[in-house]
Amino acid sequence: MSSALLLQSLILGILLGGLYALLASGLTLYFGVMRVVMIAHSAFLILAGYLAWFFTVQTGLDPMISLLITVPLFFGIGVLMQRLLITRLKPASLTMMSVLLTFAIALVIEGMLGFTFTGVQRRIRLDYGASSIEVLGAQVAVVKLVAFGLAALALGSLWFVLKKTSFGQALRATIQHKEAAELVGIDTAKVASYGFGLGLATAAVGGTALALDATIYPSLHWHWIGPLMAIIVVGGLGSIPGAAVAAMLLGVTQSLLQVPLGTTWAQTVFYVALFVTLMVRPQGFFGGRLAQRF
Amino acid sequence: MSARRLTRSRARGAAVVAGAALLLTACSSGGGGGAEEEGDDDGPIRIGISLPLTGDFSEPGKGVQNGYEIWRDEINEAGGLLGRQVELVILDDQSNADRVVADYEALITQEEVDLIFGPFSSRLVLPSARVAEEYGMLFVEPAGAAEDIFAAGYRNLFYAAPAVADTHYDYLFDHLMSLPDGERPETASFASMDDPLAMGAANGLKAKLEEAGVEILVDEIYPPNTTDFSGIAAQLAEADADLLVGGTQYQDGVNMILAVRQLGYQPRMAAFTTAPTLPEFVEAIGADKVDGIMTPNGYSPAAEYEGNANFVEMVMEKEGREPTEDEANAYTVGQVVTAAVEAVGCAEQGDCQTELVDWLHENEVATIVGDLRWDEAGRPNGAHFIQQYVDGSPEIVLPEDQATAEFIAVKPEW
Amino acid sequence: MRNASETTRAAAPAAERTAGNRAARPPLLRDPRRLVGVGLLVALAVVVLVFPMTTSVGYLLSTGVVILNYALMATGWNFMGGFTGYISLGHAAYFGLGAYAVAILIDRTGMSPFLALALAPLVVVVIAIPVGVAALRVRGASFVIVTIAFVLILLLVAQSWASLTGGSTGLMVPRAFQGLMRTEHHQVFYYIYVAALVLALLVWWRIDRSRFGMGLKAVREDEDKARALGVPTFRAKLIAFAWSAFFTGLAGALYALWFGDLDPVFQFSILMGAYMVLMALLGGVRELFGPLLGAIVVGLAIEFFKAEFGDTQFHLVATGLLLALVVLFMPEGVIPAVKGLFARFGPQASSIREVSAQQLLDGTQDAPDDDAPVAPGGVGRVR
Repeated sequence: MSSALLLQSLILGILLGGLYALLASGLTLYFGVMRVVMIAHSAFLILAGYLAWFFTVQTGLDPMISLLITVPLFFGIGVLMQRLLITRLKPASLTMMSVLLTFAIALVIEGMLGFTFTGVQRRIRLDYGASSIEVLGAQVAVVKLVAFGLAALALGSLWFVLKKTSFGQALRATIQHKEAAELVGIDTAKVASYGFGLGLATAAVGGTALALDATIYPSLHWHWIGPLMAIIVVGGLGSIPGAAVAAMLLGVTQSLLQVPLGTTWAQTVFYVALFVTLMVRPQGFFGGRLAQRF
Repeated sequence: MSARRLTRSRARGAAVVAGAALLLTACSSGGGGGAEEEGDDDGPIRIGISLPLTGDFSEPGKGVQNGYEIWRDEINEAGGLLGRQVELVILDDQSNADRVVADYEALITQEEVDLIFGPFSSRLVLPSARVAEEYGMLFVEPAGAAEDIFAAGYRNLFYAAPAVADTHYDYLFDHLMSLPDGERPETASFASMDDPLAMGAANGLKAKLEEAGVEILVDEIYPPNTTDFSGIAAQLAEADADLLVGGTQYQDGVNMILAVRQLGYQPRMAAFTTAPTLPEFVEAIGADKVDGIMTPNGYSPAAEYEGNANFVEMVMEKEGREPTEDEANAYTVGQVVTAAVEAVGCAEQGDCQTELVDWLHENEVATIVGDLRWDEAGRPNGAHFIQQYVDGSPEIVLPEDQATAEFIAVKPEW
Repeated sequence: MRNASETTRAAAPAAERTAGNRAARPPLLRDPRRLVGVGLLVALAVVVLVFPMTTSVGYLLSTGVVILNYALMATGWNFMGGFTGYISLGHAAYFGLGAYAVAILIDRTGMSPFLALALAPLVVVVIAIPVGVAALRVRGASFVIVTIAFVLILLLVAQSWASLTGGSTGLMVPRAFQGLMRTEHHQVFYYIYVAALVLALLVWWRIDRSRFGMGLKAVREDEDKARALGVPTFRAKLIAFAWSAFFTGLAGALYALWFGDLDPVFQFSILMGAYMVLMALLGGVRELFGPLLGAIVVGLAIEFFKAEFGDTQFHLVATGLLLALVVLFMPEGVIPAVKGLFARFGPQASSIREVSAQQLLDGTQDAPDDDAPVAPGGVGRVR
């Protein structure tokens, strides 16, 4: 492997890792607030991608403008989903049943996408789709930089909301200890539903970023949910910094392994990391006490 | 689409019957098909087809459907087959192997169709060919060029196109070898989808190039449904081979080209399977970026073969453009079956099918892709043209006696 | 099974004494509920056995085989999901492994198809045990994630390791019975599937009534309490997991021999795993015949939807909605709901959660084998 190719792979890995980090943060947020494994997260990701594509095809405007619609829309769907569906499940079997329920939602989304837009693969055509700029002697596609920028911006906003606002404090308190949060007067039900909405909003941003430079089709979400779930287990269920760090590490590793191993084998890095984590440290490398028991 | 609606109501009957049969033993033989039409010489000849109208192969699948329908319309206008009207019974297999088998099973045993035509894509041809073989049905197919299919040794299978996958690039290879030393590519890179057709053509060329001393720098296989080509493109760009060969279907070809363009890789020659033969390709890549891209193509609208001018005219009238390779291959299936049915004088299940198979093994059929003759396993005897984009439109460049434009030896930048 | 129950017995005297109290059941034929059950069972057996003789339409026969395949898979799934409450969404992994094991054994070693069929489920168990060791270290969410991940890994491996698995093209399995007409071939496999299903049901029934089964069900109701009572929970779960993989793998092996063409995307499909869960849940995971009933209902529904709405993706929507409805409104399944009607007239069964540890040790309560409503606020761990 030459140094140029190495650098190229490293940059691609970082750009990919950024997107993984954003999406995994959303996934781990649901788990933090509700102990829910949201299988439909990546289905919403693809839904957002389709909405961005449809928006561009219809209006001819840049797909990123569709975020003005999809982000609030997804936030609303998330809040409603938590209030109307997730809270209906019995607390005793919440984690297991929520997996099945969100799985069902994923199937419905996939089916409706196929029903509406057919199974044909779609790709947004952008004027800057094939252009690239040189960074440290490596060619980097402009769309990938834009997608990374979008993911980084969203992740930064998420961090800001969690760290600097009173809602964020309430949310973190709910994640850390729900009963204690209730005792100090936090309306955890409301916080949880907003947290759910926030998680789904990351899928809106992620989906748009994804659709900028990739082909989308209805069943694509299965290819995303595996790596994302591996990331949140490795990072420690419920830990957002853990998810972000694990996402970046695994994204870069995958990209670097692509050269010697090929694309398919390189994807197994997520699962190898998942199994190693379970054998060595089942609660995840950055997680707290939550992971093993749920 | 009256044929489809008919199918649905019948299939519903089938499912209900299946349910009833499992729940109540009372339901007895005959199933949902009933004692209709069979052996009836005046009713329409019903032809069963399973096609991927949704799923991974839905794009070319629709081309095949269009080709079949054009053949049906033409033959019905001319008074039908053996004087009977032709009716297509089309089921959707969603590009799934398990569905394609269930579909042909239902078409043959439940619908009791008189003839069947093949589905699209080598992956789906293989399992459905076995169903046809075990029910003793003639199986002429438009899209299974891969060697695996013929290796299975089905006697009733015939590929209605000029050549099998391994030989698709033969004209290109011969031409490359005839070039003088400086112009002949010295290095080549391959990236292929793990699909029998896409890989078959690329591997055929690769073996010949290797033997001729061309150095293979990259040889990547990626699974169907790969969408991120940046890793593969990085390797292709790093290797910087003279010749880039992509064993592609449709969208992966477009993605690969965009990904290597993002990295500024400018090969001297580039060839891809399938994608460049589809009309959407130019729009997806950009009319100013396609020049010089090559593809093997089993069909040329300009070729002076039996009925071709007529076929081109019908497609122009219906679609407002020239026929695609998939449409032509599907139409060819119709021509082949027509020839056999008219020669033997029957079209029904049973012994008639054996006679049709025997006839095709012994005779040559004139089609829009040339005169076809098959070996014992159903391999056709012809060769593929090499198509290249010249000034934004697809032209046949090889072999030279069929060429509509001059071969571009150094591809313009993309 | 004897080994397992022996080790369980040695380690868990508590469970033994509880199970020893089962004699309290009324004799078979005097209980009207059981009589109805036996009647239904006989009727079902007759329908299943006679069906292939009533038709020669290949499509109907193949639909019958497909539904039996679903039933065997769902019953196999229920060894894990039903006894321990650990819901695996990735059981398609063992289905695919069974199928590939048969194909590879025949293809690479030239082995007889029947020998391959016998070996394949064992190969699946050998692969499943280390996976189980990793997966069963965690509960709930992490467990489900591991099961899904395992399917995705196997899909990648099946697609990538082309020299062994044939890559995306898959493998072709030669016919085990040469010279059969296709409809006869369907009939033969129909009866083989029935035999395999009966075997699976017998083993499930045997475990259900054993001390070992008691330990498993204790895990389902409250794993921590079960462990505190001396049930070797990890080993019990692992044994259930192995049985589950065995029968799901057997279904895959039979499918490979029957269908003849393996496509990795179909063999290792998450949707297939979801079907198993849906079927078992719909019928009732605590019921012997729950998965079978679910397989018949869902299998016919899938066939119907694909035939009716084949050219759309509507069957996915229908599957999704059905799964959501079951999860939200009927998580215990159909059979318990129907039984509930009868149960109003009979003695009430009670959940282990309503039983104190002392009562359980004294053996004053019958086993919780019926619909067990979750006691509100019963256990501190859950939230």
